[in-house]
Amino acid sequence: MPAQLYLAGVVLLSAGAAAAADNPFLPVAAAEFRSALPLGAQDKVVAVPGFMLQRHPVTNAEFLAFVTTHPQWQRGSVPATLADADYLSHWSGPLDPGPRAAAAQPVTRVSWFAAEAYCEAQQARLPSWYEWELAAAASATRRDARADAAWRQQVLDWYARPNGDTLPAVEQGIADVYGLYDLHGLVWEWVHDFDSLLPADANPERFCGSGAQNLQQKENYPVLMRIALLGSLRAADTGHGVGFRCARDAEARP
Amino acid sequence: MRARRGVLLGALAASCVLALCAAAALPTDSLYQLRATLTTQKGTVAGFDIYQGHPTVISMFYGNCPSYCPMLITAVQVYEAHLDEASRARLRVLLVSFDAAHDTPQRLTELSGMHRADPERWTFASAREPDARRIAQLLGFHYRKLPDGSFDHTQAITLVDGQGRVLASTTKLIGDAAFQTKLQASTAAGAP
Repeated sequence: MPAQLYLAGVVLLSAGAAAAADNPFLPVAAAEFRSALPLGAQDKVVAVPGFMLQRHPVTNAEFLAFVTTHPQWQRGSVPATLADADYLSHWSGPLDPGPRAAAAQPVTRVSWFAAEAYCEAQQARLPSWYEWELAAAASATRRDARADAAWRQQVLDWYARPNGDTLPAVEQGIADVYGLYDLHGLVWEWVHDFDSLLPADANPERFCGSGAQNLQQKENYPVLMRIALLGSLRAADTGHGVGFRCARDAEARP
Repeated sequence: MRARRGVLLGALAASCVLALCAAAALPTDSLYQLRATLTTQKGTVAGFDIYQGHPTVISMFYGNCPSYCPMLITAVQVYEAHLDEASRARLRVLLVSFDAAHDTPQRLTELSGMHRADPERWTFASAREPDARRIAQLLGFHYRKLPDGSFDHTQAITLVDGQGRVLASTTKLIGDAAFQTKLQASTAAGAP
């Protein structure tokens, strides 16, 4: 009996330690990149410096480790200014994800402020939109697969597939050329500059009309959907399908 | 690089300690729940809650802004000019630049002087990323940097009470009567 308890303890401990180690920051090389965002008239290409991105969206287990050591981010303790009333509402308790939030599922119902704080605690940050968009353009074999109709269709199929009541676990699909998982088809992901993807005078509610006319690559629906969704959020919102992953500068590699 | 990170982390840790102390007493919907670091026109490091305890008008700007930002500063001065002197003395104004690279303490001091702002009640400050965007989120203020180095941004002037709760906000530079009324009430003698 004591041996069993001991074993259970070891399993729990190693699960906790593994949470951080199992979501490493992988390098994404610098690129001159055509973004779907509306840019200035002459600026068709953005230069994205190299950076590091986490292999999968932050999971419930990983977020649990964070709120355990950062009690101000536990459900019930977080100020209304920084997260709405739905924050982690699917967890059984402030320190208990419970049956509706499995360890390997992406954490959702987290505000932008919470995502920022989580990444800061990992000596990291949320990726910028350009960083996220660059990483998400990759297929399993090439860095920019956006012109590949078959890949685009595959991504669209992911978006069209209903998730049902429970989110799948992370890393169930295929890694892209960087080794990253789940940039499409699992959750929406916060980015640091999520609120500034459209011109200041573009009303997100009218996005499908005038706002969309400035967007480039109109066939790139999955990314345009991201832009529309992120543009409609406020930083304290906690959507049931919105998660995140963290990034680091390339030179900050520990 | 490493040394700078060390200083930054040290500053973060210090501000967290302060924020934790303040957070216990603050309402849950207070903007001052955010931990953010400002550099003021005096070159000092301050928290976003620098004017806690006073009704405060808060907005954001950047110094190289050709037309809107000077208008914003003038607009706040016009709103406060409608207050009687005693009420005006109770009001504070915090203008936060999201262009910390250009808006150095020296530049902020110049701006303050150019607008003849009362340094006893007005603070021009700047915030670096990620704090600048966090403050902007609280205020419902959106900005993005354009490739030519200028910024595209919305406008918002926010009035908070002494505890950092939002009392009113306006996107009108002139003549928002409801905003003016709230400003009057929050700075009246004995206002909470």
